[in-house]
This record gives sequence, C-alpha cells and structure tokens, in this order.
Amino acid sequence: MTDHLNEQQAIPVSKVQRAAKFISTGAKVGGNYVKHYAKKMVNPSMDKEELHKNNASDIYSSLSQLKGSALKVAQMMSMDKNLLPRAYQDKFTMAQYSAPPLSFPLVVKTFQKYFSKSPDQVFDTFTRSAVNAASIGQVHKATLGEKTLAVKIQYPGIADSVSSDLKLVRPFALRLLNMNERELDHYMEEVEEKLLEETDYILEVRRSREISGECSHIPNLKFPIYYDELSAERIITMDWIDGVHMKEWLVTNPSQESRNQIGQALWDFYDHQVHNLKTVHADPHPGNFIIQENDQLGIIDFGCVKVIPEDFYQGYFALIKKDLLINSDELDQVFFDLEFISDKDSPEEQEYFKSVFREMISLLGKPFHSDKFDFSDDSFFQRIFELGDRISNDKKFKKSNQARGSKHGLYVNRTYFGLYNLLNQLQAEVVTTKPDWLK
Amino acid sequence: MDTTTDKKLTKKNYRKLILEGFKKHVLEHGEMPKSVFKFAKDLKMKEEDFYIYFTSFESIKSAVLADIFDETLIQIAEQGVFEEYSAREKFLSFLFTWIEELKKNRSYLLSLYESKSKSLVTLSKESAQFKEKFKAFANEIILEGKETEEIATRPVISDRYDEALWIQVGFVFRYWLDDSSPSFEKTDAAIEKSVNLGFDLMGKSALDSFIDFAKFMYQSK
Repeated sequence: MTDHLNEQQAIPVSKVQRAAKFISTGAKVGGNYVKHYAKKMVNPSMDKEELHKNNASDIYSSLSQLKGSALKVAQMMSMDKNLLPRAYQDKFTMAQYSAPPLSFPLVVKTFQKYFSKSPDQVFDTFTRSAVNAASIGQVHKATLGEKTLAVKIQYPGIADSVSSDLKLVRPFALRLLNMNERELDHYMEEVEEKLLEETDYILEVRRSREISGECSHIPNLKFPIYYDELSAERIITMDWIDGVHMKEWLVTNPSQESRNQIGQALWDFYDHQVHNLKTVHADPHPGNFIIQENDQLGIIDFGCVKVIPEDFYQGYFALIKKDLLINSDELDQVFFDLEFISDKDSPEEQEYFKSVFREMISLLGKPFHSDKFDFSDDSFFQRIFELGDRISNDKKFKKSNQARGSKHGLYVNRTYFGLYNLLNQLQAEVVTTKPDWLK
Repeated sequence: MDTTTDKKLTKKNYRKLILEGFKKHVLEHGEMPKSVFKFAKDLKMKEEDFYIYFTSFESIKSAVLADIFDETLIQIAEQGVFEEYSAREKFLSFLFTWIEELKKNRSYLLSLYESKSKSLVTLSKESAQFKEKFKAFANEIILEGKETEEIATRPVISDRYDEALWIQVGFVFRYWLDDSSPSFEKTDAAIEKSVNLGFDLMGKSALDSFIDFAKFMYQSK
C-alpha cells in the first residue's frame, strides 16, 4: 500500500460508486481482521497495533478518493485522538495536509463565475497548480503588486454532498469510534451543521476578520489580512503567511524557549476566545497553524468556528473548577443541563455516569488547576487515552440508549483535545491563564 | 431586386433574423412553429426566401448548436491560456466554457431537449453539424495528447477516441439539462470527474500492461 495520495484520477462519480468504494473498504477491513486472527494463531504475541495499521491504511485510501466531507470526517476523527487507536491517528493526520488537486480549467471557471476574469487577469502571477490542499478546497499562491497572497478555492458541489457523504461515512464511524448509534447521530448532526458552515466562504471571511481583530492584542500571533474585493462565495483571498507547519518546525529542533513561546501564544489565543469572546476557532489541527521566524504563530483557517452558548459555558467550566465547592444538588443540575444524565436513567446509572464524567472532566481540567502546566508530560495524555479507551469499551455506554453530553460539548471537547494535543507535540510548558472565577 | 446591392450583408442578416425568430418562437410558445409558411409569414418574408438559408426547422436547430460551438471556441481563444494547457485541461476548459454558452440559451434548449428520449447522441440529424465541428476540434486535442503521451495509442480503439469524447459531450449536456443545483455546480463536478475518468482510461494504464502480458503468455505457449 503506497502512502502518498493518488492524484485526482479516479474519483468515484455517483453516490452509488462512492458507496461501492466504502463497501470495498469494508471488505478489506474485514479481510484484515481475518489476516490478523490467522497470524495470531501462529504468533500469539502479536498485538492489535498491526491490525489497526492495516485498517487505517485501507480506510484512509478510500477516504482520500472521496474528498470533501468524508475527508473532513477523517480529519475530525484524527483530532479526537482520545477516541481513536494510535495507528488510525497517524494515518488520518496525513489527511490534514493533502487532498487531490482540482484542475486548472475549473479554477479559471470559478474565477470567471465570480469576477468575470481569469485568475491571470486578476493577479500579477498565479500558480497553475495548488500549493496546498484544504479539505474542501485548495490554495494557490498569487502576487498582486507588492503583496503575496494565498487564494483558497472551494471544490464545486461540496455543500450539496455534505449530507450524503456523512451518511456514507456513518457505518465506518460507528465501527471505528465504538459509539452507539444514537450517540453517533447526535455527533453527526452537529458535524453536518458545522461542515455546511464551513462551505460558506463569505461567513468565513467575516468571522476570520472578527476573531483576528479581537485577538490582535495577543503577543506572538500573526493573522493574515483578508480581501473582500477578491473573495466570493467559493474564493477567499488573504495574505500569504510565510513559514512552516508545526511538524516541519519541530524537526528543526527548536529550543525550549521557542516551544514555550509558541505554546503560550496558542494557549492565550484559545483562552481569550473561549472565555472572553465565547466564539472559538474549533479546528485546532496542525495544518491550520504556521510557524514563522522569531517564533511567531500564524493562524490561517477559520472555517470551523463554534459559538459557545452562555448557559453551556457556565455549566461546563463550573465542573473544571479545582475545588468543586457546589453541593451535590447543584452538581446534579449541571449534569442534567449538560445532558450527561437524564430522567430516563435509573439511579444506579445516574451514579455511574456521573462518576465517569466527573473523572473525565477533572482530568481534562487538570491544566487549569495550576498556574503553569507542562504539556510534555506524556503520562497525562496516557491517562486521557486510557480513560477514552475505557469509555469506548464500556458496555454501559454502548448499551445506553441515549446520547451523553450536550452537543455543544463535542466541539468544545474537540477544541481542548486538539489544543492539548498541539501543546503536547510542542512539548511546551505554558502559563495556564484562566478567568478569575475559575481560579 | 433592390437587395442585390449589398447581398452579403443582407444574407447574413436574414440568417440571423431567422435564427433569432426561431429561438423566440420556441421560447414563447414552448414548441417549434407549425410550418415554414407560417413562420416565414411571421417574419414578413416569402417562404421561398426562407429556403435560401435553411431547408427545414431541423437545419435551424442544427445551426443553433453549431453556432454555440463556434462561440465557445471564440471564448476559449479569448481566455489566452488555452494553448498552454495539456490535452486533458483543454478538454475540461472546452466543456466548462461550452456550458457557459449553453447557459445563455438554457430555456430554448430545455424546451427542445428536455424530454429524456432526445439526447444529442441520438439526434444524429440535428447534431450532425455540431458533431462534425466538434470532432475536428477533438481530434486535434487527441493528436496532441498522443504526442505528449498523455493518451495511449492502442490498435483499433484509439481511432474511436473522438467518438468517446462526443459521447461524453452528450453526457454532460444531459446532466446539465437535468441539473438543479445552484449555479449548476454539480455539472462542474460532473465535468471534472468524468473527464478525469475518460482521460485516465485513454492514458496508459494497468490494462495495457495486462493485455501486453496476456499476449506474451499466449504467444509463448
């Protein structure tokens, strides 16, 4: 199995064909299981890691041919590292960097549709092939006068295919994420809504500008300028941000100070958004960040933005507080509000789920409990993974006939998992600032 | 006759007049005129004058399609980058531009071609002129593709590639007529994907190696 992406050669055309693609992947995954157990009979010491690796590779190669929302789901799954076995994660992380390119005539056509000009007429120079691929579009580099620009162009028909693509991914997600169906539906609804938002480039430009304006005071952050007159429903033009992705940067062995500076900028960026703006860039995957010279952090993609409702915010962060001083009645109320438990549960179930969620939240809240937190502490992450594993294998959760946790939690959790994860990759120690009421 | 003084210009005008009149009639009535006599009368011309330019309504329909094709080529030439394109990109560019031209005549085309039984490929009579022009254009692309080895030369089938591209044009036309997505985005995606598939099939592939291998095994038995 080759690891690099196929150029856009044989994208399955119709829904039927795409479904067929998934079925063939299903067959392969099934085959991998057979192989695994066959090998295991011969060599009992073999662990499941290899099996996961084979599965991830097959699933990923079919996802990469689907592009669009399916790829987006792959990205999401790769984000929620706590939900996925490690082998899947590495494979899916690749989806965050590359997708098959769009032909140049289609790029020209898109430009002509919105500006009645070809890109060569709009810009002084314009790269013929994409320099970078986003999950639902691709980026070309252009120059105009003194400026170097990044021009993002969306694949046609993405918005229309979001719903049907998600339906196709569903059986896989079910299997991979080990969730029960209701829980998954709950998840998918929110994902669908966010994906549709992501296809709205006009909204993205507006939000990018708002958030980058609000965060401009934070040190060591760099935001591109967005150009309305060169943007449209399917095109976004912004400043080109020079620099390298996190993975490449880490290869250069940056000093601990540099790591901390980048990590701190990240933390401050999210802290300000979550607690002051209550609107958050909910897509903290490595592809959305660029590291520049002098350890400046460039933030380039505001496709996925989650608005945090006030009552959810209060409840969620009340749980993160170090000393849970509220009495158990109030605590029950919070659990109800966050939809962790409901009237339908028996008292034993309520007790059980409450204890699990308490454990989860206190673990996730750990960085908030001290002034400084060292994210290079792998044992902390190990505990998160273990808990995630335990929950996903827990029969009580699988049998539970309702979704647990407010849907707002999905993106807030994802944001924090993503953020912690980035900080872990950076091996950074940061001052974990927090609002006064959380101290 | 007093028109003899500037015969060429008049001829052109009459041709245009008939084409426009025909389109207008189809748009307003949702169907073709009842007879040439009636149509000519509406245009205030004699029936026999009509036959100087067109022999039947079929030939008018044919001319409309051919004109759209000519206009497409003009548009492509104006874009400037066309010559730098690879064969695949040229064909993509043609289809994208062609769809834009079709869009200008969508209502007219819908009223004539909406019913499923009528596709460009089966309507050999009225699309003949368009097909001939298209094939000349397609063959140029194919030839270039063969030179750059983008398209594989295969015995027998590679002479039929122009026919394959023509069928693809018919497919795109049909797809576009049925497309209800905003600003026909789905047609864009359909073009992109079908052309990529088409050119992948025409390019050198595992199939060639397989046939080569099979032949070898057969012959060396």
